[in-house]
Amino acid sequence: MNHVAVVDLGYGDAGKGTVVDWLCATRPVHTVVRFNGGAQAAHNVVLRDGRHHTFAQFGAGTFHPGVRTHLSRHVVVDPLALAAEADHLATVGVSDALDRLTVDGDALLATPYHRAANRAREIARGADRHGSCGLGVGEAVAYGLAHPDDAPRVADCHSPALLRRRLTTLRDRLTAELGTLDAPPVEDCLPAFTGFAGRVAIVGGSWLAEALRTGTCVFEGAQGVLLDEWHGFHPYTTWSTTTFANVDSLLAEAGRSGDVTRIGVLRVVTTRHGHGPLVTEDPSLPFTDRHNATNPWQGRFRFGHFDAVAHRYALAAAGGVDGLALTHLDLAGPDLRICRRYDTTDRLTPGPPGDLDRQAALTARLLRSRPVYDDKPQDWPAAVRAELGTPVVLTSHGPTADDKTPCGPLLAPPTLAHAA
Amino acid sequence: MGSGIWSTDVYDAADRYRRSTGKSAFSYSDSGARTVHPALDPRDATRESRDSDEHPRSTPVAVLFDVTGSMRTVPRVLQTKLPQLLGLLQRQGYASDPQIMFGAIGDATCDRVPLQVGQFESDNRMDDDLGRIVLEGGGGGQMSESYELAMYFMARHTVTDNWEKRGRRGYLFIIGDELAYQRVKAREVAGLIGDDLSEDVPLRQVVDEVTRRWDTYYLLPAGSHYAGNATVLDFWRDLLGQNAVVLDDLDAVCETIALTIGLGEQAIDLDEGLRDLDRAGSGATGTVSKALARLGRDRRAEVSTLPAFRDTASGVTRL
Repeated sequence: MNHVAVVDLGYGDAGKGTVVDWLCATRPVHTVVRFNGGAQAAHNVVLRDGRHHTFAQFGAGTFHPGVRTHLSRHVVVDPLALAAEADHLATVGVSDALDRLTVDGDALLATPYHRAANRAREIARGADRHGSCGLGVGEAVAYGLAHPDDAPRVADCHSPALLRRRLTTLRDRLTAELGTLDAPPVEDCLPAFTGFAGRVAIVGGSWLAEALRTGTCVFEGAQGVLLDEWHGFHPYTTWSTTTFANVDSLLAEAGRSGDVTRIGVLRVVTTRHGHGPLVTEDPSLPFTDRHNATNPWQGRFRFGHFDAVAHRYALAAAGGVDGLALTHLDLAGPDLRICRRYDTTDRLTPGPPGDLDRQAALTARLLRSRPVYDDKPQDWPAAVRAELGTPVVLTSHGPTADDKTPCGPLLAPPTLAHAA
Repeated sequence: MGSGIWSTDVYDAADRYRRSTGKSAFSYSDSGARTVHPALDPRDATRESRDSDEHPRSTPVAVLFDVTGSMRTVPRVLQTKLPQLLGLLQRQGYASDPQIMFGAIGDATCDRVPLQVGQFESDNRMDDDLGRIVLEGGGGGQMSESYELAMYFMARHTVTDNWEKRGRRGYLFIIGDELAYQRVKAREVAGLIGDDLSEDVPLRQVVDEVTRRWDTYYLLPAGSHYAGNATVLDFWRDLLGQNAVVLDDLDAVCETIALTIGLGEQAIDLDEGLRDLDRAGSGATGTVSKALARLGRDRRAEVSTLPAFRDTASGVTRL
């Protein structure tokens, strides 16, 4: 085994962070590579001694000394949130997180103007909110697509004059469209962005190729395939490719196509934070999630029975995986059931990327669908393997790396695994 | 996915990166400077707070803190906290177009840098002024610092559109832990500020002059040498009445200043202000509530159905 890619086959929150942490605890890992999303990611990692960090931009392997984080050009980088996250890491004993970080200079920046515009739009949607996190990631992507030559990028932080011009243009365009934005003046933003450039290693595309040659890299996905910009249930999606597509393109650029083990992460309880379809949602399920509080942008955290129909769809959209990591098995109590088909269909088929009308029609159909339940499985890993036609290669019964058990050889730790 | 729990505040982020490079926020002082930075030199200086197209109704706020040894680590903590003040004022909307000036107070009888005053700024440039302050760390041991010189400068060397055009006072916060000297000495004024006074000015007169144009507060923080010392508090209560405020947690300094301004501008009452802080996730409500209880209570007591007149100079309605 060389490189590993970890992708969530649900709506996010399945436990990618804890799986990445376990990978870094059980074998030498050179770098955790982020390949989508931005600061809105929230990958919770808990250590045996109780220390906890919600990883947003740093890789979830950061608790392990020496493991680096690389933010690839597919990530929307938020230097403001990054500074706060680094400070929190220092309070839980990781003082060199910024020293172990590299950022691709081509990556888009999320700015206070994107954030303010994101919130203004989401508020205007009223009851039809998309479940956005209010951090401006989608806004930054949209602006980058509309104005590729003017969009502020990470490398601009080295050139205050250029960055000032791009931020001003950005602010003026968004203000013209949405009215006054609740964001600080451009001059006030500059010290934060130039401070970031002065502190963090900003690199070119060849950095990753070198890292991939040097040691094992773990590609850590953000969000989940069911939220994918093309395959998710429009419009309740993220502006981000959540499948393996970005991993494949980064590997291809480095001349290492296919040199990766693909892991899909699933939770035995299908969850969703934010609006949109969750066919198996059951408010009577006796669960709470301590890391996903109700918030003004996504509302409350929603729980449902294991939705094999949706997860099969995600697996197909992602192009298959080599193995599944099944998490939260400690929650599989007597109340939890498995849904293998809906009253409207037993199979959802992915369409070609880019056909949002098709995705919206799919969403409408899901909102009409009712789950059909079978008896609760005696052996969850066996039931999931049978339903998805894919081996379960890692099971997790709790929050820490110690609560994980590899099944079979695919993710078995090398004999000389370094200590957690 | 989906939380965004880490702060995305620009002021906060700039400060975090600055700290993480190992560069002290007091870079000028820590690099060994022992003379006033030209940008903060009060000699022949006038500090202005002016309206502009972008800031049509400027509200000047001056924060001057004691940098002598008795304040121990207080100045360094203040330096990390004060950059958040502008953001807090802007977010809460307690004052229109706030423009903030920072300065530092030492002891003219024995210090090399007894008075440092920055410019009124409405953006991060005021952070630069904070970074240029020389931390005196000395002081004379006589329980007095040259607060009177700072008040003299504020009374005679500041010009604000808020006063000139609207007859409204600005806000002056002095943060310290000792007594002022009883007279503004003509010799010290000549040396430091450059004015030619024929005789010393009594402290009372300076206080009268400065409070006419500046709503002046004295904050006595915890952690300083004489904190809680009744002599110091009584001295300032005698000069400024209820505007002498004890602050038992320095972390709450920005919130205390912001709420004081909000109360002064009648943008809020104390309960509303505390609710705002609570909603913003501030842990400072206890400290602020305690510090401002006297101000808040008195301000609320002014609400009356009886005929009242408006004192435009203070913006406060009195019976």
